[in-house]
Amino acid sequence: MKTNLTKFVVLFCLFSLFAFGCAEAPTGFSGITRGDGILYVGSMDGKIIAMNASARSQQLHFPADGEWVYAITTTSQGGLSCGPVSTPVAIYGTPAVDGNLVFIGTYNGKVYAFNIANGAMRWDYPKEGYIGAIVGSPVIVNDTVCLCSSDGRVYALDTTYGESNWNSTVLCDKLWATPYIEGDKLYISTFDGHLYALSADDGSITWSFATESKIGFVSSPVVSNGVIFVGSLDRNLHAVKVESNETLWKFAGGNCFWATPLVSNNVVYAGCLDGKIYAVDAGDGTQLWSFDAGSPIVASPLLVDDLLIIACDSGEVYVLKTEATGGDRIVNQLSIGTSIRASFCASGDVVYVRGQDNCLYALDVKQGKETWNFTLTTE
Amino acid sequence: MADLWSLIILNPMLNGLIALTSVLDGSFGLAIIALTIIVRLILVPLTLKQLKATKALQGMQPKIQELQKKHGKNQQKLQQEMMKLYKEAGVNPLGCLWPMLVQFPVWIALYQSIMRALATTPESLLDLFRHLYSWEVVTRALPLDSHFLWLNLGVPDGTMILAIIVGGSMWVQQKMVTAPTVDPRQKSMNSMMQLMMPFMFAFFTLMFPSGLALFWAVSNVIGIVIQYLVTGWGYLGRGALPKLPLTR
Repeated sequence: MKTNLTKFVVLFCLFSLFAFGCAEAPTGFSGITRGDGILYVGSMDGKIIAMNASARSQQLHFPADGEWVYAITTTSQGGLSCGPVSTPVAIYGTPAVDGNLVFIGTYNGKVYAFNIANGAMRWDYPKEGYIGAIVGSPVIVNDTVCLCSSDGRVYALDTTYGESNWNSTVLCDKLWATPYIEGDKLYISTFDGHLYALSADDGSITWSFATESKIGFVSSPVVSNGVIFVGSLDRNLHAVKVESNETLWKFAGGNCFWATPLVSNNVVYAGCLDGKIYAVDAGDGTQLWSFDAGSPIVASPLLVDDLLIIACDSGEVYVLKTEATGGDRIVNQLSIGTSIRASFCASGDVVYVRGQDNCLYALDVKQGKETWNFTLTTE
Repeated sequence: MADLWSLIILNPMLNGLIALTSVLDGSFGLAIIALTIIVRLILVPLTLKQLKATKALQGMQPKIQELQKKHGKNQQKLQQEMMKLYKEAGVNPLGCLWPMLVQFPVWIALYQSIMRALATTPESLLDLFRHLYSWEVVTRALPLDSHFLWLNLGVPDGTMILAIIVGGSMWVQQKMVTAPTVDPRQKSMNSMMQLMMPFMFAFFTLMFPSGLALFWAVSNVIGIVIQYLVTGWGYLGRGALPKLPLTR
């Protein structure tokens, strides 16, 4: 009897341990970027994929003209009795295109440059080993690709050869943000509640700002008219005057502001994890209007002409008028039926959205219909 | 069901853990230790009930072994005699199991809280926000500082120190409660369990975030203390077999 009980308890412990406790493995939610009719996106199985939007709309065989796939893997130990195994990397950032190259950083701590014509890898950084996990997107300034790493540094690499131009000092325990470029400065928000301005030439810190509460910033910063707008873990959207230690205003949401805000015509559009998009006056932080999408907003909003596009974790995509009030606000509503967390992009009336089902959707926001979709799980 | 679980058990514990971190000067390691102690203290009545039931069962082992010798070949008779014995002694053979099972949801919630609070990946951080209350004491602690002593609580401890502490403390605890036996099958099973469980958890320590292993270590140490207060050192260091009446 006792032996059976013991067996039962041990089995129950093991079941509990694995059924309830295993940490979620990173799968990534890479955004989409567009250049010369080609869409570039990181898939959930560690691939960088170039898609010809025209070929996809005609449902041509993949790969068509200008299309390619590059699978990025990392080698890990396969367990007690197995040798090293190759596993796909997670990709969170949105690829950046410059000239004939496309750049991306991966969660295993590597930066890659690919030839946009054929997907051949031009370089990777570092050549040996890894830097900290990369969650933010790369940005290009003066033939230099800059990105933040979870080792707390900002890396600036030569776009042509992938050689290090400079590394910043450690700014924070980990950096997940995407740098914002304004003139010859890079603006960085950190998990420990700091904002930094770095020189794009050598990475030196030219300005820093700490919030009183030291509560971290979770969204990437946006700079407009000398003001930094950034979302915080303290459930506030902060407006901080650049190169000063002055917080102009704080706007309180119902949860954290994860998505990078969008600023246009003196209005800040900020998606919040409370499921609402807030339109806030950039000058004084007063709320102009809000719209409840009913599900956390992780992806940054986008403006197509005068229409505001928001996508939420439930898979709903809303096309909103920025000027209207009350019930007139919704122009169209679409659903892709799966979570949307990645940044999306637009071309004309078509918005390209990547779902967490590893599928890319082309949505005509003015007609309110899906024009095509393409699964990113390719051979 | 999952929503109910989160609402009633997981969310209060998770937010409590993060609030404790805030109170304990941002130390997530200290918060894990404190919450483990608090939870174990709350569960003391159940633990005592379980220990007493186990002790009573172990006290009956000589009589059970006697019955096994006597009716070993007739399982039906053996079961009948054993049930009679339990009834006469007023002992429920499942008495040590139910308090343990009742405690499991609490342990699972504590375990989930630690894993969720660590939020090492963007997905897990997003998921964490779904469970947090809008209390200032909670948001003030974010993001959690995962450093504690020599450990990064979000990744496994590569030094083996924590694995040795977890495995060693579990072995001591097992040794204190496992009664020696003359039955070779039972003896072999006991020896295996005494080694297997500590080894298994030491192995898990090398694979799981060290914040979780810290919880196992603290929980084991508290278990040893409670066990000591109830039964003394129990069977630890006692190699001798229980004296059995040599009857046929």
